[in-house]
Amino acid sequence: MKKVLLIAALVVLFAALAACSPAPTPAPTAAPPTTAPQATTAPTTAPTAAATKAATTAPTSAATTAATKAPTTAATTAATTAATSSPTTATKSITFGVVLVGPYNDHGWSEANYIAANYVKQKLPGSDFIYLDKLNPSDRPGTTLEQVVTDMASKGVKLILTTSDDFQTDTTTAAQKHPDLTFINVSGDNAWKDGKNYKGLKNLGNFMGKMEYMKMVAGCAAALTTQTGKIGFLGPLVNDETRRLADSAYLGARYCWTTYAKKDPSALKFDVKWIGYWFNIPGVTLDPTQVANGFYDAGNDVVISGIDTTEALVVAGQRQKQGQKVYALSYDYINGCNEAPDACLGVPYFNWGPRYLKTVRDFAAGTWQPGWYWDGPDWKDINNPDTSAVGFTYGKALSNANKATIQNQFIPGMADGSISLWKGPVTLQDGSTYIAAGSTATDQQIWYMPQLLQGMTGASAPTK
Amino acid sequence: MRLELKSIHKYFGLVHANDGVDLTVESGTIHGLLGENGAGKSTLMKILSGFIRRDSGEILLDGRPVEFHSPAEAIRMGIGMLHQDPLDFPPLSVLDNFLLGREDGFVQNRARALADLKRLSSQFGFDLDPETLVSTLTVGERQQLEIMRLLSLGVQILIFDEPTTGISLPQKVKLFETLRLLAKEGKSIIFVTHKLQDAEDLCQRVTVLRRGQVTGQVEHPFTASQLVQLMFGQNLAVSARQAIELGAPILEMRDVAVEDYRLRVPNLNLQVCAGEVIGLAGIEGSGQRLFLRACAGLLPPSAGEIWIAGAKMNRQPYHKFLERGVAYMPAGRLEEGLVPGLNLAEHFVLVGRSKDFFINWGAAQSEAQVKIEEYSIHGVPATRVESLSGGNQQRALLALLRPDIDLLLLEHPTRGLDIESTLWVWNQLLERRRRGTAIVFASADLDEILEYSDRILVFSGGRVAQALVAKETSVTQLGELIGGKGL
Amino acid sequence: MKAMGERTEPSKGRVEETPRTREGVPAPAQEATARRGAGMWENLAWSIGPILLGLILTTLALLAVGANPVRAYTVMWKGAFGNAAQFSNVVSSWVPLALASVGLLITFTAGLWNIGIEGQIIMGAIFTAWTARTFDWPAEALIPALFISGIIGGAAWALLAGVLKTYGHVHEIFGGLGLNFVATGVTLYLIIGPWKRAGIASTSGTELFRPAAWLPTFPGGMAVGPIEIAVAVVSLVIVYFALRGTLWGLKLKAIGKNIRSAYWIGISTRLHLLGAFALCGAFAGMAGTVQAIGVWHRLIPAISGGYGYLGILVVLLSGFQAAGLAPVAFFFAAVSKGSVALPLDLQLDSSLGGVLQGIIVLLVILSQGVRARVQRAGASARIDSAVLASPVGPTAAPVEANENPPL
Repeated sequence: MKKVLLIAALVVLFAALAACSPAPTPAPTAAPPTTAPQATTAPTTAPTAAATKAATTAPTSAATTAATKAPTTAATTAATTAATSSPTTATKSITFGVVLVGPYNDHGWSEANYIAANYVKQKLPGSDFIYLDKLNPSDRPGTTLEQVVTDMASKGVKLILTTSDDFQTDTTTAAQKHPDLTFINVSGDNAWKDGKNYKGLKNLGNFMGKMEYMKMVAGCAAALTTQTGKIGFLGPLVNDETRRLADSAYLGARYCWTTYAKKDPSALKFDVKWIGYWFNIPGVTLDPTQVANGFYDAGNDVVISGIDTTEALVVAGQRQKQGQKVYALSYDYINGCNEAPDACLGVPYFNWGPRYLKTVRDFAAGTWQPGWYWDGPDWKDINNPDTSAVGFTYGKALSNANKATIQNQFIPGMADGSISLWKGPVTLQDGSTYIAAGSTATDQQIWYMPQLLQGMTGASAPTK
Repeated sequence: MRLELKSIHKYFGLVHANDGVDLTVESGTIHGLLGENGAGKSTLMKILSGFIRRDSGEILLDGRPVEFHSPAEAIRMGIGMLHQDPLDFPPLSVLDNFLLGREDGFVQNRARALADLKRLSSQFGFDLDPETLVSTLTVGERQQLEIMRLLSLGVQILIFDEPTTGISLPQKVKLFETLRLLAKEGKSIIFVTHKLQDAEDLCQRVTVLRRGQVTGQVEHPFTASQLVQLMFGQNLAVSARQAIELGAPILEMRDVAVEDYRLRVPNLNLQVCAGEVIGLAGIEGSGQRLFLRACAGLLPPSAGEIWIAGAKMNRQPYHKFLERGVAYMPAGRLEEGLVPGLNLAEHFVLVGRSKDFFINWGAAQSEAQVKIEEYSIHGVPATRVESLSGGNQQRALLALLRPDIDLLLLEHPTRGLDIESTLWVWNQLLERRRRGTAIVFASADLDEILEYSDRILVFSGGRVAQALVAKETSVTQLGELIGGKGL
Repeated sequence: MKAMGERTEPSKGRVEETPRTREGVPAPAQEATARRGAGMWENLAWSIGPILLGLILTTLALLAVGANPVRAYTVMWKGAFGNAAQFSNVVSSWVPLALASVGLLITFTAGLWNIGIEGQIIMGAIFTAWTARTFDWPAEALIPALFISGIIGGAAWALLAGVLKTYGHVHEIFGGLGLNFVATGVTLYLIIGPWKRAGIASTSGTELFRPAAWLPTFPGGMAVGPIEIAVAVVSLVIVYFALRGTLWGLKLKAIGKNIRSAYWIGISTRLHLLGAFALCGAFAGMAGTVQAIGVWHRLIPAISGGYGYLGILVVLLSGFQAAGLAPVAFFFAAVSKGSVALPLDLQLDSSLGGVLQGIIVLLVILSQGVRARVQRAGASARIDSAVLASPVGPTAAPVEANENPPL
């Protein structure tokens, strides 16, 4: 009978553990530092003319303008200044919801979005947000986006940002089901009129940063640093987005390899490996730590990370401690180098704050329009937190000479258009010409990237 | 070391397992302890070796009263026991086993232990490789290891529980040699057995237990028949038995051998006819259970042929045997007969003839009520079987048997029952016999065997004597056969 | 729940005569009255006690991390029952959980620990997904076909575990665990391999099924619809009656309580064990179907939602009684769903809900052990104990190979 109870207890324990969904990161039981009392008491006085103007006549899109390389950021700056400097002019109080696919403190993609939500809260008086992180079937089995939407709606939230490609399908379904709520799927394209997957919903928007440029910078840094001429790209799952980012990194690497390092393009090896998801799910994806180690073991001395989390850099840091000269580039998060500064060449990161702020402000003012925004860097200062949608943090491990090359030649070249890596000829991995010589890729061609490029190795894509 | 047990009492629930046992073992002697199953030998030895606590009584070592609460403490006082199934750790090596239980402190001194092991081995002429895994040793070799282990722990009194079971003849010779050597060194040996021959060969003095009490003590030289009388009692009145006309053969065994992992019973030849009662005598575990299970189709014979009612049944499944009119009532009523947790009505539904998918509980209740009255079970249809007393469980089991049984196999049909229940059970059985059912039953109770059997098969360590006609058999003869003499 | 404390474990030693017969006291009469009178309150106390204790322990845990327990429980309550849509979420989680539990009740009745239920849910979902992807039928034809596919998938996978046990002598816990891994592997292979979305290789899931393969939901943004609720309710009712009113159910019960006795009585234990596995798999497979076409509308790697393991807790807590499954499953569904609101409101980790569930189940089992001791100490000798003895005990006595030549 004792044995019987023991077995029962073991099984129950096991089941309970399985049911409790192990948290991969420290559970945020302690309130995150930014939590503040809900700002429900903000006076809803009639907005002053200035504020209204700021809100409504704010440039159609600061980022769009940036992307079109007409750096007229004055309006945006004005808008933010107005918001910060005159709190009495605040729009009515608003709470928005943010759904994160990974932990809010993953030092990667999800944390970048979490920072942006806090940015809004700080810049827009009367605004607050609630969030749910780790919404993925492994961390929260049985929890659907639909349920989270219902829960958030029950708390009065009208605007919900779902911050993963993984949520695109369910976000669109939810938007159809809940016409009274507004949804933004970050990185999706269902609201892009000229895109392939336009759904025409009035309550669904998308935005994304033009990370391609910063991936080019990352590729450049890798190419200038590598001694073996072998670069690894640690990819998440395979889709249009990840292909175009991997391709961008390769284009940047090839350009700098040939132009600045003056080496033979065929001597540059660029290998892509996909783990299967945005981050490690034990038993489901490949283990990114193992893949990163595999890259270094195979002679790659630089690994560019394309996943949400920091395994590549951590591995590089460990190997550096053992005396190996290996490096990594992190991804997504502005402070992504902190995990292993001495091994870090840099981080191409998203600065979601300005676009979040504009979206929430417009929504609060009732001027939000469904649409799809692909925001570029502020070429004047790619690291301006208030204007640039994407940026690049230089890592300690990047040599001064290489940093100078990037800062003084490569980035200015891209800014003024003298370096345009999407100009043809661009040849796909299967040898077919994607962009003919003389023409430049359209947004659609870049967004819906069908394959890896010629010169890269790795699984290109599963086309049926 | 001189050992005295004074007036040891031990109850298990209502069973008085040891009823005022006195026993004195002088140092330097081999003292035999005899008795049939359930006589209280094991209980007494478990008390002595610290496995269980006595309820009252005294244990004295060299005249000093002692107390201990675990085998480890008993060993520290100098008392060690070798169990029938050696309590060693087969996946470990000889040396590892030898080390177990030593109090060398946390860090074991392997080198010293190895030296000890080698010294003891040469002293007794044992030949064990210290690095061999115990799982590869024979039972005899494991005994040798255990003896050395206990000696290395400083044990002065050694208890051997049925040590000659499962070892070969040369090993037995070696064991006896070792025991005599130990006695000569001044160690006290208690030799627990039911084998008369072994007791005769080895022991200077033998104490016999029966039903928890000491029935006598004999000094060497003694005779087997003396021991048998002490073990089984003397008043075996054989009642007059009504003559029954035997019918056609129901069960036939031709050169059958049955075996399990520890015992092989070869050369079984037997014919049982309708209306005949066969008693299986012997110390428990001598092959009777294997025999019964083979007859029921629960254990395929490893050789020979089993015929039931004219059909060869080798390798037929159990339910084919059931279809041919065989029924088997095992000893463990709640383990392998009744289903604890189910009530009487549910039991009757399970064995009932109705094959309807849906149960008519109303009908089932009344049917159960009829059976309950017919078999005078103290209970109602909703009574769970585990809350019945043993006698009522046995009645329930009998009530579950179909009316049309040709061969009824029973294991200890009346064990643990009071007189009234015992008589009732046998009335039921004899009534079935009168209607032509052949009965084969195993029992540890010689009175029961002699009283109810027509013929008797005696089992002893896997060997079977020729079937004896009960009328012409004396209890002494039976006792000697059970003890392995004359087989 | 009331039967829990009264099961017995086969006594190990000899069954000895007790004076009860001699006194001629009809024990069962005493037992019956006891059960009706004071026994009811005692049973209730034994059932409610551990749940209360579980709440207290969870409260202490909350206090330890500096959270306000009252708010936490309020938030959970609101998260589950705040409005109709949230309630519908609870029901959408109750359906697969109830189906899994009802299946497990069958295997538990037969004395089996069918840990492999997770894999059976997954296989049900895989078979469902195959049908949904293959046949372009209208919903009226497709949805029944999808359920049948789930039943086939789940039952087949369960039978595999059953065959491993009855013929291969692999304990169902180990066989089940292995098969769970295989089922997950198959899902992943299908999602990244043959069933991947065009141009995409992601473990996040397959393409959405056609709308005809979606279970309809109640209007007003509800997460659940009539079909799956009906399936779950009908399943509960069928199993309730099958286990208490049929010969098959009684035989299963006998096997579960003592497989040796059942075999001696003449029940074909092997066939019944396989049947129990297959039926459990069928219900688990339907849970997979509901997950695939009612919740996710596609195949994802974690399609089972952990409802199989959770189902084990449900059955344990319901005391192996069919009548208890629905409410206990509902409680678990509400806690699971309600706890998602914790991080939203209080920045508390929602695994607290799982902790609460686990603690309660452990305490319930513990209390049954304690109760058994108390009752034994109460010396009524026979009515022993060991609540869990019945589902577990028999597994210790395997279907005897050598004694059980091929049926």
